[in-house]
Amino acid sequence: MTKPVLIVGGGPAGLSAAHALASAGQKVVLVEKEDRLGGAPILDGYAKLVPSHEWAKDAIGAMVDRVQGREGVDVRLNAQVQSFEGEPGAFTATLKDGTKIEAGSTILTTGFTHFDSVNKPEWGFGTFPDVVTTVQVEQMISSGKGIRCPSDGRVPDRVAILLCVGSRDRQIGREWCSKICCTVSANIAMEIRELSPKTNVYIYYMDIRTFGLYEGDYYWASQEEHKVKYIKARIAEVTSDGKRLLVKGEDTLIKRPVSIPFDMVVHAIGMDPNVDNMTISSVFGVDLNKYGYIAKQSTYAHLAETNRPGVFVAGAATGPETIDDSIAQGQAAAMAALNFKPAGKVAAE
Amino acid sequence: MPIHEKSLIRKENLVENESLVIDGVDVSGHWSTFITGRSLTDYNDDMQDEIAALPGGENIHRCWQCGSCTNACTVNAVNPEFNPRYWIYLIRLGMEEELLRDKDIIWQCVSCNKCTYACPRDVVPEGVMKATAHWLELKGHTPKSPSTEFDEEFSGQVIKTGKIEESRVIMNFFRRTEQPLAQPWLVALIKGLAFRFPVFYLMRMGMAVVRRPRTRNWAKSRRAINEYVQEVEAANRAAVGAKGGH
Repeated sequence: MTKPVLIVGGGPAGLSAAHALASAGQKVVLVEKEDRLGGAPILDGYAKLVPSHEWAKDAIGAMVDRVQGREGVDVRLNAQVQSFEGEPGAFTATLKDGTKIEAGSTILTTGFTHFDSVNKPEWGFGTFPDVVTTVQVEQMISSGKGIRCPSDGRVPDRVAILLCVGSRDRQIGREWCSKICCTVSANIAMEIRELSPKTNVYIYYMDIRTFGLYEGDYYWASQEEHKVKYIKARIAEVTSDGKRLLVKGEDTLIKRPVSIPFDMVVHAIGMDPNVDNMTISSVFGVDLNKYGYIAKQSTYAHLAETNRPGVFVAGAATGPETIDDSIAQGQAAAMAALNFKPAGKVAAE
Repeated sequence: MPIHEKSLIRKENLVENESLVIDGVDVSGHWSTFITGRSLTDYNDDMQDEIAALPGGENIHRCWQCGSCTNACTVNAVNPEFNPRYWIYLIRLGMEEELLRDKDIIWQCVSCNKCTYACPRDVVPEGVMKATAHWLELKGHTPKSPSTEFDEEFSGQVIKTGKIEESRVIMNFFRRTEQPLAQPWLVALIKGLAFRFPVFYLMRMGMAVVRRPRTRNWAKSRRAINEYVQEVEAANRAAVGAKGGH
Protein backbone atom coordinates (compact mmCIF):
# COMPACT_ATOMS: atom_id res chain seq x y z
CA MET A 1 0.00 0.00 0.00
CA THR A 2 1.63 3.25 -1.05
CA LYS A 3 -0.84 5.65 0.52
CA PRO A 4 -0.23 6.40 4.20
CA VAL A 5 -2.27 4.96 7.03
CA LEU A 6 -4.17 7.61 8.95
CA ILE A 7 -4.05 7.15 12.72
CA VAL A 8 -6.51 9.20 14.73
CA GLY A 9 -5.40 9.74 18.32
CA GLY A 10 -1.89 9.90 19.80
CA GLY A 11 -2.29 7.87 22.98
CA PRO A 12 -0.65 4.53 23.78
CA ALA A 13 -2.63 2.60 21.13
CA GLY A 14 -2.02 5.20 18.39
CA LEU A 15 1.67 5.57 19.27
CA SER A 16 2.07 1.81 19.23
CA ALA A 17 0.34 1.49 15.85
CA ALA A 18 2.39 4.35 14.38
CA HIS A 19 5.64 2.78 15.59
CA ALA A 20 4.71 -0.65 14.26
CA LEU A 21 3.73 0.71 10.82
CA ALA A 22 6.79 2.96 10.52
CA SER A 23 9.02 0.03 11.48
CA ALA A 24 7.50 -1.94 8.62
CA GLY A 25 8.25 0.91 6.19
CA GLN A 26 4.64 2.09 5.97
CA LYS A 27 3.99 5.83 5.86
CA VAL A 28 1.78 7.15 8.65
CA VAL A 29 -0.16 10.34 9.33
CA LEU A 30 -0.87 10.70 13.06
CA VAL A 31 -3.62 13.18 13.89
CA GLU A 32 -3.94 14.40 17.50
CA LYS A 33 -6.49 16.96 18.70
CA GLU A 34 -4.41 18.12 21.69
CA ASP A 35 -1.14 20.05 21.47
CA ARG A 36 1.04 17.05 22.30
CA LEU A 37 1.21 13.29 21.94
CA GLY A 38 0.87 10.73 24.75
CA GLY A 39 -2.84 10.50 25.39
CA ALA A 40 -4.37 10.27 28.86
CA PRO A 41 -1.20 9.16 30.70
CA ILE A 42 0.61 12.32 29.56
CA LEU A 43 -2.25 14.81 29.19
CA ASP A 44 -3.70 13.96 32.61
CA GLY A 45 -0.33 13.69 34.34
CA TYR A 46 -0.44 10.10 35.55
CA ALA A 47 2.20 9.09 38.09
CA LYS A 48 3.65 5.57 38.15
CA LEU A 49 2.06 3.07 35.80
CA VAL A 50 0.75 -0.43 36.43
CA PRO A 51 2.41 -2.91 36.24
CA SER A 52 5.97 -1.65 35.68
CA HIS A 53 5.93 1.22 38.23
CA GLU A 54 7.67 3.40 35.62
CA TRP A 55 6.70 7.06 35.62
CA ALA A 56 4.17 7.79 32.87
CA LYS A 57 6.28 10.64 31.53
CA ASP A 58 9.22 8.24 31.08
CA ALA A 59 7.37 5.19 29.80
CA ILE A 60 4.84 6.89 27.49
CA GLY A 61 7.29 9.73 26.83
CA ALA A 62 9.65 7.16 25.28
CA MET A 63 6.81 5.95 23.06
CA VAL A 64 6.24 9.54 21.94
CA ASP A 65 9.94 10.11 21.28
CA ARG A 66 10.31 7.10 19.01
CA VAL A 67 7.39 8.26 16.87
CA GLN A 68 7.73 12.05 16.84
CA GLY A 69 10.10 13.35 14.16
CA ARG A 70 10.59 9.86 12.73
CA GLU A 71 10.89 9.55 8.96
CA GLY A 72 7.65 8.34 7.45
CA VAL A 73 5.57 9.56 10.40
CA ASP A 74 3.72 12.80 9.78
CA VAL A 75 2.41 14.12 13.13
CA ARG A 76 -0.40 16.71 13.04
CA LEU A 77 -1.09 18.28 16.44
CA ASN A 78 -4.12 20.44 17.32
CA ALA A 79 -5.89 18.70 14.47
CA GLN A 80 -9.26 17.04 14.16
CA VAL A 81 -10.78 15.13 11.27
CA GLN A 82 -13.92 16.91 10.07
CA SER A 83 -14.91 14.61 7.24
CA PHE A 84 -13.78 11.27 5.92
CA GLU A 85 -14.72 10.18 2.43
CA GLY A 86 -13.77 7.82 -0.35
CA GLU A 87 -13.33 4.12 -0.80
CA PRO A 88 -11.19 1.58 1.03
CA GLY A 89 -7.67 2.08 -0.33
CA ALA A 90 -8.43 5.66 -1.35
CA PHE A 91 -9.83 7.62 1.58
CA THR A 92 -9.65 11.39 1.89
CA ALA A 93 -9.75 12.92 5.34
CA THR A 94 -10.36 16.63 5.67
CA LEU A 95 -9.10 18.29 8.83
CA LYS A 96 -10.88 21.17 10.51
CA ASP A 97 -8.33 23.63 9.10
CA GLY A 98 -9.15 22.39 5.58
CA THR A 99 -6.04 20.26 5.07
CA LYS A 100 -6.73 17.14 3.04
CA ILE A 101 -5.02 13.84 3.83
CA GLU A 102 -5.00 10.91 1.43
CA ALA A 103 -5.01 7.56 3.18
CA GLY A 104 -5.28 3.92 2.18
CA SER A 105 -6.79 2.94 5.49
CA THR A 106 -7.24 4.39 8.95
CA ILE A 107 -6.92 3.30 12.58
CA LEU A 108 -9.11 4.94 15.21
CA THR A 109 -7.28 5.13 18.52
CA THR A 110 -9.51 7.80 19.96
CA GLY A 111 -9.47 6.51 23.52
CA PHE A 112 -11.87 7.26 26.35
CA THR A 113 -13.02 10.11 28.60
CA HIS A 114 -12.68 9.99 32.38
CA PHE A 115 -16.00 9.77 34.18
CA ASP A 116 -17.05 13.16 35.52
CA SER A 117 -17.74 12.72 39.24
CA VAL A 118 -20.24 15.58 39.43
CA ASN A 119 -22.67 13.06 37.95
CA LYS A 120 -22.71 11.33 41.34
CA PRO A 121 -23.47 14.36 43.53
CA GLU A 122 -24.17 12.24 46.63
CA TRP A 123 -20.47 11.49 46.86
CA GLY A 124 -19.53 15.12 47.38
CA PHE A 125 -17.30 15.86 44.39
CA GLY A 126 -17.68 19.53 43.50
CA THR A 127 -19.28 20.22 46.89
CA PHE A 128 -16.34 19.53 49.20
CA PRO A 129 -12.84 20.48 48.06
CA ASP A 130 -11.28 17.46 49.77
CA VAL A 131 -13.27 15.06 47.63
CA VAL A 132 -10.99 14.36 44.65
CA THR A 133 -10.59 11.83 41.84
CA THR A 134 -7.92 9.23 41.19
CA VAL A 135 -6.69 11.46 38.37
CA GLN A 136 -6.12 14.32 40.82
CA VAL A 137 -4.21 12.03 43.15
CA GLU A 138 -2.09 10.87 40.19
CA GLN A 139 -1.32 14.53 39.57
CA MET A 140 -0.49 15.17 43.24
CA ILE A 141 2.01 12.31 43.09
CA SER A 142 3.52 13.11 39.68
CA SER A 143 3.87 16.82 40.53
CA GLY A 144 6.09 15.87 43.49
CA LYS A 145 4.02 17.96 45.90
CA GLY A 146 2.78 14.91 47.77
CA ILE A 147 -0.63 14.04 49.15
CA ARG A 148 -2.34 17.16 50.49
CA CYS A 149 -5.94 18.10 51.21
CA PRO A 150 -6.90 20.72 48.61
CA SER A 151 -8.83 22.75 51.21
CA ASP A 152 -5.93 23.71 53.47
CA GLY A 153 -2.87 21.81 52.24
CA ARG A 154 -2.63 19.53 55.29
CA VAL A 155 -1.37 15.97 55.00
CA PRO A 156 -4.45 13.79 55.54
CA ASP A 157 -4.53 11.41 58.52
CA ARG A 158 -7.02 9.25 56.77
CA VAL A 159 -7.98 8.76 53.12
CA ALA A 160 -10.97 6.84 51.77
CA ILE A 161 -10.93 5.55 48.20
CA LEU A 162 -14.40 4.78 46.79
CA LEU A 163 -14.39 2.20 44.00
CA CYS A 164 -16.80 1.95 41.05
CA VAL A 165 -17.48 5.67 40.73
CA GLY A 166 -19.05 5.88 37.28
CA SER A 167 -18.90 2.13 36.73
CA ARG A 168 -21.36 -0.71 37.29
CA ASP A 169 -24.13 1.78 37.94
CA ARG A 170 -27.47 1.56 36.11
CA GLN A 171 -28.59 4.80 37.75
CA ILE A 172 -26.29 6.72 35.46
CA GLY A 173 -26.36 4.34 32.48
CA ARG A 174 -22.93 2.91 32.99
CA GLU A 175 -23.25 -0.82 33.33
CA TRP A 176 -19.67 -1.76 32.52
CA CYS A 177 -16.77 -2.48 34.81
CA SER A 178 -13.98 -0.04 33.98
CA LYS A 179 -11.49 -2.81 34.56
CA ILE A 180 -8.51 -0.76 35.70
CA CYS A 181 -9.77 1.21 38.72
CA CYS A 182 -9.32 -1.53 41.35
CA THR A 183 -5.69 -2.03 40.41
CA VAL A 184 -5.08 1.70 39.96
CA SER A 185 -6.63 2.36 43.39
CA ALA A 186 -4.48 -0.29 45.06
CA ASN A 187 -1.47 1.25 43.33
CA ILE A 188 -2.41 4.76 44.42
CA ALA A 189 -3.06 3.54 47.97
CA MET A 190 0.44 2.07 48.12
CA GLU A 191 1.93 5.29 46.74
CA ILE A 192 0.07 7.35 49.35
CA ARG A 193 1.37 5.07 52.12
CA GLU A 194 4.90 5.44 50.76
CA LEU A 195 4.72 9.21 50.44
CA SER A 196 3.12 9.79 53.85
CA PRO A 197 3.40 6.70 56.05
CA LYS A 198 1.19 8.28 58.71
CA THR A 199 -1.76 8.46 56.35
CA ASN A 200 -4.13 5.51 56.73
CA VAL A 201 -5.84 4.43 53.52
CA TYR A 202 -9.21 2.67 53.42
CA ILE A 203 -10.70 1.30 50.19
CA TYR A 204 -14.50 0.89 50.02
CA TYR A 205 -15.40 -1.84 47.56
CA MET A 206 -18.25 -4.01 46.29
CA ASP A 207 -15.97 -6.50 44.55
CA ILE A 208 -12.26 -6.35 43.94
CA ARG A 209 -11.13 -6.98 40.37
CA THR A 210 -7.36 -6.79 40.47
CA PHE A 211 -7.32 -9.41 37.75
CA GLY A 212 -4.57 -11.85 36.79
CA LEU A 213 -1.16 -11.28 38.28
CA TYR A 214 -2.29 -8.02 39.90
CA GLU A 215 -3.84 -10.13 42.65
CA GLY A 216 -0.47 -10.57 44.32
CA ASP A 217 1.33 -7.40 43.29
CA TYR A 218 -1.48 -4.97 44.04
CA TYR A 219 -4.38 -6.44 46.04
CA TRP A 220 -2.24 -8.34 48.51
CA ALA A 221 0.89 -6.21 48.40
CA SER A 222 -1.24 -3.20 49.33
CA GLN A 223 -2.58 -5.06 52.36
CA GLU A 224 0.44 -7.05 53.44
CA GLU A 225 3.22 -4.55 52.87
CA HIS A 226 1.38 -1.25 53.03
CA LYS A 227 -1.42 -2.04 55.49
CA VAL A 228 -4.14 -0.64 53.24
CA LYS A 229 -7.58 -1.64 54.55
CA TYR A 230 -10.46 -2.90 52.41
CA ILE A 231 -14.05 -2.41 53.58
CA LYS A 232 -16.97 -4.09 51.87
CA ALA A 233 -19.44 -1.25 51.59
CA ARG A 234 -21.15 0.74 48.89
CA ILE A 235 -21.05 4.30 50.14
CA ALA A 236 -24.42 6.04 50.35
CA GLU A 237 -23.21 9.61 50.72
CA VAL A 238 -20.28 11.83 51.58
CA THR A 239 -21.10 14.79 53.80
CA SER A 240 -19.16 16.95 56.22
CA ASP A 241 -19.33 17.60 59.95
CA GLY A 242 -17.85 21.02 59.34
CA LYS A 243 -14.29 19.87 59.98
CA ARG A 244 -13.84 16.55 58.26
CA LEU A 245 -15.66 14.59 55.60
CA LEU A 246 -18.19 12.03 56.79
CA VAL A 247 -18.44 8.84 54.77
CA LYS A 248 -21.75 7.07 55.24
CA GLY A 249 -22.77 3.63 54.09
CA GLU A 250 -23.32 0.10 55.22
CA ASP A 251 -20.55 -2.27 56.13
CA THR A 252 -22.19 -5.32 54.60
CA LEU A 253 -19.90 -7.83 56.28
CA ILE A 254 -21.11 -6.82 59.72
CA LYS A 255 -24.53 -5.56 58.64
CA ARG A 256 -24.05 -2.20 60.32
CA PRO A 257 -24.34 1.35 59.09
CA VAL A 258 -21.07 3.28 59.20
CA SER A 259 -20.47 6.99 59.46
CA ILE A 260 -16.73 7.50 59.53
CA PRO A 261 -14.70 10.74 59.45
CA PHE A 262 -12.09 11.15 56.72
CA ASP A 263 -9.72 13.93 55.68
CA MET A 264 -9.80 13.11 52.00
CA VAL A 265 -12.12 11.04 49.81
CA VAL A 266 -10.88 9.79 46.44
CA HIS A 267 -13.27 8.73 43.68
CA ALA A 268 -11.87 5.84 41.65
CA ILE A 269 -13.42 7.16 38.46
CA GLY A 270 -14.22 4.87 35.56
CA MET A 271 -13.67 5.06 31.83
CA ASP A 272 -16.50 6.56 29.80
CA PRO A 273 -16.71 6.24 26.02
CA ASN A 274 -14.90 9.17 24.44
CA VAL A 275 -17.21 12.14 24.80
CA ASP A 276 -16.77 12.76 21.04
CA ASN A 277 -17.79 9.23 20.02
CA MET A 278 -21.09 10.31 18.42
CA THR A 279 -19.16 12.71 16.17
CA ILE A 280 -16.45 10.14 15.47
CA SER A 281 -19.15 7.60 14.61
CA SER A 282 -20.81 9.88 12.09
CA VAL A 283 -17.58 11.26 10.56
CA PHE A 284 -15.98 7.85 10.00
CA GLY A 285 -19.22 5.92 9.45
CA VAL A 286 -18.45 3.41 12.19
CA ASP A 287 -21.02 1.82 14.50
CA LEU A 288 -20.94 2.22 18.24
CA ASN A 289 -21.79 -0.67 20.55
CA LYS A 290 -24.67 -0.41 23.02
CA TYR A 291 -22.41 1.19 25.64
CA GLY A 292 -21.23 3.92 23.29
CA TYR A 293 -17.74 2.60 22.50
CA ILE A 294 -16.65 1.94 18.91
CA ALA A 295 -17.96 -1.51 17.96
CA LYS A 296 -15.59 -4.27 16.91
CA GLN A 297 -16.85 -6.59 14.18
CA SER A 298 -15.34 -9.76 15.47
CA THR A 299 -13.58 -10.95 18.56
CA TYR A 300 -11.41 -13.69 17.10
CA ALA A 301 -11.17 -13.85 13.32
CA HIS A 302 -10.61 -10.21 12.40
CA LEU A 303 -8.97 -8.25 15.13
CA ALA A 304 -9.39 -4.48 15.04
CA GLU A 305 -12.01 -4.34 12.29
CA THR A 306 -14.97 -1.98 12.48
CA ASN A 307 -18.10 -2.29 10.34
CA ARG A 308 -16.45 -0.14 7.64
CA PRO A 309 -13.77 -1.87 5.53
CA GLY A 310 -10.43 -0.11 5.84
CA VAL A 311 -11.29 1.56 9.13
CA PHE A 312 -9.73 -0.17 12.13
CA VAL A 313 -9.93 0.48 15.85
CA ALA A 314 -7.69 -0.18 18.85
CA GLY A 315 -7.31 0.60 22.53
CA ALA A 316 -9.79 2.21 24.93
CA ALA A 317 -11.90 3.44 22.00
CA THR A 318 -13.39 -0.06 22.04
CA GLY A 319 -14.10 -0.24 25.77
CA PRO A 320 -12.28 0.13 29.10
CA GLU A 321 -8.74 -1.00 28.46
CA THR A 322 -5.36 -1.16 30.16
CA ILE A 323 -2.34 0.66 28.74
CA ASP A 324 -0.47 -2.53 27.94
CA ASP A 325 -3.46 -4.08 26.16
CA SER A 326 -4.03 -0.83 24.26
CA ILE A 327 -0.44 -1.06 23.04
CA ALA A 328 -0.94 -4.66 21.96
CA GLN A 329 -4.16 -3.75 20.16
CA GLY A 330 -2.38 -0.86 18.44
CA GLN A 331 0.12 -3.32 17.00
CA ALA A 332 -2.67 -5.71 16.00
CA ALA A 333 -4.47 -2.88 14.20
CA ALA A 334 -1.21 -1.94 12.45
CA MET A 335 -0.91 -5.53 11.25
CA ALA A 336 -4.50 -5.45 10.00
CA ALA A 337 -3.91 -2.16 8.17
CA LEU A 338 -0.68 -3.43 6.56
CA ASN A 339 -2.42 -6.54 5.26
CA PHE A 340 -5.54 -4.71 4.19
CA LYS A 341 -6.44 -5.21 0.54
CA PRO A 342 -9.54 -3.35 -0.65
CA ALA A 343 -12.12 -5.66 -2.16
CA GLY A 344 -11.92 -5.87 -5.98
CA LYS A 345 -8.52 -4.25 -6.11
CA VAL A 346 -6.61 -7.53 -6.09
CA ALA A 347 -8.37 -8.67 -9.23
CA ALA A 348 -7.73 -5.33 -10.95
CA GLU A 349 -3.96 -5.62 -10.27
CA MET B 1 -44.95 5.30 67.34
CA PRO B 2 -44.48 2.86 70.17
CA ILE B 3 -41.58 0.46 69.98
CA HIS B 4 -43.05 -3.03 69.83
CA GLU B 5 -39.94 -5.15 69.82
CA LYS B 6 -37.67 -3.58 72.40
CA SER B 7 -36.00 -6.96 72.88
CA LEU B 8 -34.43 -6.62 69.43
CA ILE B 9 -32.71 -3.38 70.34
CA ARG B 10 -29.56 -3.18 72.41
CA LYS B 11 -30.47 -1.87 75.86
CA GLU B 12 -27.90 0.92 75.76
CA ASN B 13 -29.47 2.22 72.55
CA LEU B 14 -32.87 2.79 74.16
CA VAL B 15 -33.13 6.25 75.65
CA GLU B 16 -35.86 7.59 77.91
CA ASN B 17 -35.94 11.20 79.06
CA GLU B 18 -37.58 12.00 82.36
CA SER B 19 -38.13 15.56 81.31
CA LEU B 20 -37.81 16.58 77.72
CA VAL B 21 -39.42 19.37 75.76
CA ILE B 22 -39.12 19.47 71.98
CA ASP B 23 -40.45 22.54 70.14
CA GLY B 24 -42.53 23.49 73.19
CA VAL B 25 -44.14 20.07 73.44
CA ASP B 26 -43.55 18.09 76.62
CA VAL B 27 -42.49 14.59 75.59
CA SER B 28 -41.28 13.39 78.99
CA GLY B 29 -41.84 9.81 80.05
CA HIS B 30 -41.41 6.32 78.73
CA TRP B 31 -43.83 6.62 75.85
CA SER B 32 -41.39 8.89 74.06
CA THR B 33 -38.59 6.36 74.18
CA PHE B 34 -35.90 7.06 71.58
CA ILE B 35 -33.58 4.67 69.80
CA THR B 36 -30.11 6.14 69.39
CA GLY B 37 -28.19 5.63 66.17
CA ARG B 38 -26.34 2.38 65.84
CA SER B 39 -23.95 3.40 63.14
CA LEU B 40 -20.22 2.89 63.61
CA THR B 41 -18.55 6.24 64.01
CA ASP B 42 -14.82 5.57 63.95
CA TYR B 43 -11.97 3.18 63.28
CA ASN B 44 -9.04 2.60 65.61
CA ASP B 45 -6.21 2.82 63.08
CA ASP B 46 -3.69 1.09 65.39
CA MET B 47 -5.65 -1.98 66.38
CA GLN B 48 -4.48 -4.37 63.67
CA ASP B 49 -0.85 -3.42 64.18
CA GLU B 50 -1.12 -3.93 67.94
CA ILE B 51 -2.61 -7.40 67.67
CA ALA B 52 -0.27 -8.34 64.81
CA ALA B 53 2.64 -7.47 67.09
CA LEU B 54 1.59 -10.07 69.68
CA PRO B 55 2.63 -13.73 69.29
CA GLY B 56 0.14 -15.53 67.04
CA GLY B 57 -1.32 -12.40 65.44
CA GLU B 58 1.39 -11.91 62.82
CA ASN B 59 -0.64 -13.04 59.77
CA ILE B 60 -3.95 -11.31 60.47
CA HIS B 61 -3.50 -8.92 57.52
CA ARG B 62 -3.79 -11.83 55.08
CA CYS B 63 -7.47 -12.52 55.81
CA TRP B 64 -9.92 -12.21 52.90
CA GLN B 65 -13.05 -12.96 54.90
CA CYS B 66 -13.99 -16.29 53.35
CA GLY B 67 -15.25 -17.67 56.66
CA SER B 68 -13.44 -21.02 56.48
CA CYS B 69 -12.26 -20.54 60.07
CA THR B 70 -15.74 -19.96 61.44
CA ASN B 71 -17.10 -22.90 59.45
CA ALA B 72 -14.38 -25.17 60.81
CA CYS B 73 -14.63 -23.88 64.37
CA THR B 74 -15.32 -26.30 67.22
CA VAL B 75 -16.62 -23.60 69.54
CA ASN B 76 -18.79 -21.98 66.87
CA ALA B 77 -20.63 -25.29 66.49
CA VAL B 78 -21.73 -24.90 70.12
CA ASN B 79 -21.98 -21.13 70.33
CA PRO B 80 -22.85 -19.29 67.09
CA GLU B 81 -21.70 -16.04 68.70
CA PHE B 82 -18.14 -17.34 68.57
CA ASN B 83 -17.09 -16.10 65.14
CA PRO B 84 -13.34 -15.73 64.40
CA ARG B 85 -13.99 -14.45 60.85
CA TYR B 86 -16.05 -11.58 62.23
CA TRP B 87 -13.53 -10.64 64.91
CA ILE B 88 -10.68 -10.68 62.42
CA TYR B 89 -12.66 -8.23 60.28
CA LEU B 90 -13.34 -5.96 63.28
CA ILE B 91 -9.67 -6.01 64.26
CA ARG B 92 -8.40 -5.35 60.75
CA LEU B 93 -10.58 -2.27 60.43
CA GLY B 94 -10.19 -1.16 64.04
CA MET B 95 -13.80 -1.49 65.22
CA GLU B 96 -12.77 -1.63 68.84
CA GLU B 97 -16.16 -1.06 70.46
CA GLU B 98 -17.68 -3.88 68.46
CA LEU B 99 -14.90 -6.26 69.44
CA LEU B 100 -15.26 -5.36 73.12
CA ARG B 101 -18.87 -6.51 73.03
CA ASP B 102 -17.53 -10.04 72.61
CA LYS B 103 -14.62 -9.77 75.01
CA ASP B 104 -16.10 -12.36 77.37
CA ILE B 105 -16.26 -15.12 74.78
CA ILE B 106 -13.14 -14.57 72.69
CA TRP B 107 -10.94 -16.40 75.23
CA GLN B 108 -13.09 -19.52 74.85
CA CYS B 109 -11.07 -20.69 71.84
CA VAL B 110 -10.01 -24.27 72.59
CA SER B 111 -6.99 -24.13 70.26
CA CYS B 112 -8.07 -27.20 68.30
CA ASN B 113 -6.50 -25.54 65.23
CA LYS B 114 -9.15 -26.80 62.81
CA CYS B 115 -9.33 -23.21 61.53
CA THR B 116 -5.57 -23.18 61.03
CA TYR B 117 -5.80 -26.15 58.66
CA ALA B 118 -8.91 -24.81 56.89
CA CYS B 119 -7.53 -21.31 56.25
CA PRO B 120 -6.58 -20.79 52.57
CA ARG B 121 -4.56 -17.69 53.39
CA ASP B 122 -2.50 -19.12 56.26
CA VAL B 123 -3.80 -16.51 58.67
CA VAL B 124 -3.50 -18.97 61.59
CA PRO B 125 -6.81 -17.86 63.17
CA GLU B 126 -6.05 -19.86 66.32
CA GLY B 127 -2.97 -17.71 66.84
CA VAL B 128 -5.01 -14.59 66.16
CA MET B 129 -7.56 -15.64 68.80
CA LYS B 130 -4.72 -16.16 71.26
CA ALA B 131 -3.20 -12.78 70.42
CA THR B 132 -6.60 -11.11 70.69
CA ALA B 133 -7.31 -12.61 74.12
CA HIS B 134 -3.83 -11.50 75.13
CA TRP B 135 -4.47 -7.99 73.78
CA LEU B 136 -7.73 -7.77 75.75
CA GLU B 137 -5.83 -8.70 78.92
CA LEU B 138 -2.94 -6.31 78.29
CA LYS B 139 -5.36 -3.48 77.61
CA GLY B 140 -7.20 -4.27 80.84
CA HIS B 141 -10.47 -5.11 79.09
CA THR B 142 -10.63 -8.63 80.53
CA PRO B 143 -9.18 -10.35 83.60
CA LYS B 144 -6.59 -13.01 83.00
CA SER B 145 -8.15 -15.98 81.24
CA PRO B 146 -8.05 -19.41 82.95
CA SER B 147 -5.54 -20.62 80.37
CA THR B 148 -3.27 -17.66 81.14
CA GLU B 149 -3.54 -18.49 84.85
CA PHE B 150 -2.59 -22.07 84.10
CA ASP B 151 0.32 -21.06 81.88
CA GLU B 152 1.63 -18.68 84.51
CA GLU B 153 1.46 -21.26 87.28
CA PHE B 154 3.05 -23.90 85.09
CA SER B 155 5.85 -21.77 83.73
CA GLY B 156 6.32 -20.10 87.11
CA GLN B 157 7.18 -23.46 88.64
CA VAL B 158 9.47 -24.37 85.78
CA ILE B 159 11.31 -21.09 86.03
CA LYS B 160 11.63 -21.36 89.81
CA THR B 161 12.72 -24.99 90.18
CA GLY B 162 13.46 -26.30 86.71
CA LYS B 163 10.66 -28.84 87.19
CA ILE B 164 6.93 -29.02 87.62
CA GLU B 165 5.04 -30.85 90.27
CA GLU B 166 1.69 -31.79 88.75
CA SER B 167 -0.33 -31.86 91.95
CA ARG B 168 0.86 -28.40 92.88
CA VAL B 169 0.17 -27.05 89.40
CA ILE B 170 -3.39 -28.34 89.65
CA MET B 171 -3.91 -27.12 93.21
CA ASN B 172 -2.55 -23.65 92.56
CA PHE B 173 -4.46 -23.37 89.29
CA PHE B 174 -7.73 -24.10 91.09
CA ARG B 175 -6.84 -21.61 93.80
CA ARG B 176 -5.97 -18.89 91.25
CA THR B 177 -9.21 -19.42 89.35
CA GLU B 178 -11.25 -19.77 92.54
CA GLN B 179 -12.43 -23.27 91.74
CA PRO B 180 -13.04 -25.92 94.44
CA LEU B 181 -10.17 -28.34 94.81
CA ALA B 182 -12.46 -31.34 95.18
CA GLN B 183 -13.45 -31.64 91.53
CA PRO B 184 -15.38 -34.87 90.97
CA TRP B 185 -13.16 -35.97 88.10
CA LEU B 186 -10.06 -35.27 90.17
CA VAL B 187 -11.37 -37.25 93.11
CA ALA B 188 -12.14 -40.14 90.78
CA LEU B 189 -8.66 -39.92 89.28
CA ILE B 190 -6.92 -39.94 92.64
CA LYS B 191 -9.06 -42.82 93.90
CA GLY B 192 -8.26 -44.82 90.78
CA LEU B 193 -4.57 -44.13 91.20
CA ALA B 194 -4.63 -45.10 94.88
CA PHE B 195 -6.20 -48.46 94.13
CA ARG B 196 -4.38 -49.41 90.96
CA PHE B 197 -0.94 -47.82 91.05
CA PRO B 198 2.09 -49.76 92.41
CA VAL B 199 2.91 -48.66 95.95
CA PHE B 200 6.46 -47.78 94.97
CA TYR B 201 5.31 -45.10 92.52
CA LEU B 202 2.74 -43.73 94.92
CA MET B 203 5.48 -43.29 97.50
CA ARG B 204 7.69 -41.50 94.99
CA MET B 205 4.82 -39.17 94.08
CA GLY B 206 4.12 -38.46 97.74
CA MET B 207 7.80 -37.72 98.38
CA ALA B 208 7.86 -35.35 95.41
CA VAL B 209 5.00 -33.32 96.89
CA VAL B 210 6.78 -33.03 100.22
CA ARG B 211 10.35 -32.58 99.00
CA ARG B 212 9.70 -30.38 95.97
CA PRO B 213 12.69 -31.58 93.96
CA ARG B 214 14.69 -29.04 91.98
CA THR B 215 16.93 -29.28 88.96
CA ARG B 216 20.55 -28.98 90.02
CA ASN B 217 22.53 -25.86 89.06
CA TRP B 218 19.33 -24.19 87.86
CA ALA B 219 20.12 -20.63 88.98
CA LYS B 220 21.96 -19.63 85.80
CA SER B 221 19.18 -20.97 83.56
CA ARG B 222 16.56 -19.27 85.71
CA ARG B 223 18.28 -15.91 85.32
CA ALA B 224 18.48 -16.34 81.56
CA ILE B 225 14.83 -17.41 81.26
CA ASN B 226 13.63 -14.57 83.49
CA GLU B 227 15.59 -12.10 81.43
CA TYR B 228 14.03 -13.43 78.23
CA VAL B 229 10.51 -13.46 79.67
CA GLN B 230 10.85 -9.88 80.86
CA GLU B 231 12.13 -8.85 77.46
CA VAL B 232 9.18 -10.46 75.65
CA GLU B 233 6.63 -9.08 78.09
CA ALA B 234 8.08 -5.59 77.77
CA ALA B 235 7.90 -5.92 73.99
CA ASN B 236 4.27 -7.07 74.18
CA ARG B 237 3.35 -4.17 76.45
CA ALA B 238 5.15 -1.75 74.16
CA ALA B 239 3.29 -3.24 71.16
CA VAL B 240 -0.08 -2.38 72.63
CA GLY B 241 1.06 0.90 74.11
CA ALA B 242 0.39 -0.31 77.67
CA LYS B 243 2.40 0.86 80.68
CA GLY B 244 3.79 -1.17 83.60
CA GLY B 245 3.44 -4.86 84.33
CA HIS B 246 0.43 -6.91 85.15
